[in-house]
Amino acid sequence: MEKYFDVSYIWQTLPILLPFLKVTFMIAGLSILLGSFFGLFLAIAKLSNSKIARTLANGYTTIMRCTPSIVLLFLVYYGVPAVAENFGINLHDIDTAIFVVVTFTLQFAAIMSEVIRSSYGAIDKGQYEAAVSIGLTPFQAYRRIIFPQALVVALPNLGNSMIALLQEGALAYTIGLIDVVGKANLIIASNINAHALEIFIALAIIYWILSLIIEKVFSILEKFFSKGKKTLEST
Amino acid sequence: MSEGLNYKFLIDTFFVALSGVPVALLVTIVSLLIAIPLAFSLALTRIYRVPFIQRLTQLYVSFVRGTPIIIQIFIVYSSVPLLLTALFKKYHINVDVYNIHPIWYAFIVFSFSTTAVLIEVFRSALSTVSKGQLEAAHSVGLTTFQAYRRIIIPQALVVALPNICTATINLIKATSLGYAMSLQEITLKAKVAANVGYNYVEAYLDIFIVYLILCSVVEYGFKLYEKHLRKYKLANA
Amino acid sequence: MLNIKNVHKSFGNNEILKGVDLSIDKGDVVVILGPSGSGKTTLLRCLNFLEKADQGHATFGEIDVDLHDAKKKDIHAIRQKIAFVFQNYNLFNNKTVLENVIEGLVIGRKVPKKEAIEIGKKALSKVGLSEKYNAYPSELSGGQQQRVGIARAVALNPNIILFDEPTSALDPELVGEVLTVMKNIANEGTTMLVVTHEMSFAKDVANRVIFMDGGVVIEEGSPHEIFVKPKEERTKKFLKRVLPEDYTFYI
Repeated sequence: MEKYFDVSYIWQTLPILLPFLKVTFMIAGLSILLGSFFGLFLAIAKLSNSKIARTLANGYTTIMRCTPSIVLLFLVYYGVPAVAENFGINLHDIDTAIFVVVTFTLQFAAIMSEVIRSSYGAIDKGQYEAAVSIGLTPFQAYRRIIFPQALVVALPNLGNSMIALLQEGALAYTIGLIDVVGKANLIIASNINAHALEIFIALAIIYWILSLIIEKVFSILEKFFSKGKKTLEST
Repeated sequence: MSEGLNYKFLIDTFFVALSGVPVALLVTIVSLLIAIPLAFSLALTRIYRVPFIQRLTQLYVSFVRGTPIIIQIFIVYSSVPLLLTALFKKYHINVDVYNIHPIWYAFIVFSFSTTAVLIEVFRSALSTVSKGQLEAAHSVGLTTFQAYRRIIIPQALVVALPNICTATINLIKATSLGYAMSLQEITLKAKVAANVGYNYVEAYLDIFIVYLILCSVVEYGFKLYEKHLRKYKLANA
Repeated sequence: MLNIKNVHKSFGNNEILKGVDLSIDKGDVVVILGPSGSGKTTLLRCLNFLEKADQGHATFGEIDVDLHDAKKKDIHAIRQKIAFVFQNYNLFNNKTVLENVIEGLVIGRKVPKKEAIEIGKKALSKVGLSEKYNAYPSELSGGQQQRVGIARAVALNPNIILFDEPTSALDPELVGEVLTVMKNIANEGTTMLVVTHEMSFAKDVANRVIFMDGGVVIEEGSPHEIFVKPKEERTKKFLKRVLPEDYTFYI
């Protein structure tokens, strides 16, 4: 065993990998931003009175729920340029990162729409009625009364969704993105597969710590935003 | 590619992808069969706060939740052969570890990760059943084991079922990562077929459709079972 | 001051309001009585556009609206003049007691915050909750929450306050404190339209009682006319059911 496994490799690899977190963060950040935006529209569609909008939004969510990330990733990577070519647009030379962002935006939008829908559903309808009854406009009612309460309900799910997105993002190396995982695989390839285990463990440590940080941040946020829930928490 | 989809290839490869379903299902079912009892026992150690094991379980769940499955696969796939080689050498077993069928690795990885997911599912489901239920069961002379089997588990199952469904679907989806272990499942089979003529769009469309069908069927199955359980619940109420 | 004509409202095939007329003058305290399902609450909710009536017309001061397709601007204008007290309080869970009371003033009406706080504190002292400015709704009893609900309505200085069964969600021992507060603000000359099952409040505080059943107004008059000499058979039956056998009114 000693011959094959060398713990020091883990510590040697970490400083080489860490700069590539920049790519990982950029992909995750953009996907979260765009995905939340589209997720909001999907959620609005799901809560709307239009049966067509509801069916479409729910169908989209089911499809995303049933599609492995890696399949979606390749479908976007190969499919989008092929479709674009039919319209005479050449997308073969654009950055891989863009395909990754598109993929995870599609996926995160579906997840976000469920997070938004369920947290909205958790807020009593009476809160809205009371807000408009005292003369707030519907928009003011949503912004000042519904949204702050729904946010608190949504926070734990939001944290979990972000951790999930970060982890699914680890698959982006399969279409050639050089993020932490991509860099790790490059190192392994240049080592002719020696000490792969140590490098994978280094990767696992990075992701584990990131997830713990996200978890911690969200639990702090939750405490911070839980205005008016004091007695509920203490009981 | 500009001449559009190759429909013949699309249809042929659909069946190639479909032929990977049994492997994907086998991995899913075996992993669940290992994970469910294991996760349930470990969930109980959390609920009853068994000193040392509880902490260990917590650490294990945190690790699995905190790391991507693909990296768990990498780690298992590169560490288990090392361990086994050392083990086999020590006991003079004459087996070449590199001839072990990848499905065994798949069983290890996916039961490892699913167990962690299910521990949390079971723990939260069990905590929704009030303590009074166990006390009431004891008061009518049931043993703790009987109380769990007849009173607590049936109630917790109804709560846990949607989450078990999600875990199962995620597991099926995760088997698509079997390619990293050269497992001949849906994704790898169709991808290999596509390599010949660079028909990647068609191949991934096929894979996409197969997973869609597979997961929809599983989801529908769970919905039926949930309905059945709820009916049972009402009939007994 | 408030005139409504011919209000109709159905939920699916269930016709709840079958043409209700109502008029309220300044300073009136009107109580609507009636069995559950008679449409009292729905009528109140239609007045504040919390439900959209199928048909009906309202005149409110100088504003004249169709209850079925009122313009957004008119709805907003009317809601600025009408306050609503809910059966289940509906206090904003994310805001403190004082914030609840001033929200409508500061955001809905653009009253300067300092001024709003003055008004809010005055309203809270009227309902006897001067000690609880910074408490959150979840820290209050049901009776206290409903008193904040009333203060929230009073602070807006509305032309009329609608009360939708304000005491039905309360434990019996908490009903008294809320009724006392309502009586006090009625005595100050506040115009009120109250749906309630509290016969004592109707008897002691109202100057007009309306009896509704089956989606229409059956009978209306002074408390004396309704409780002592009801004309309609249905009113008599209802009163017989809700009042104890030997209960007599002395007005």
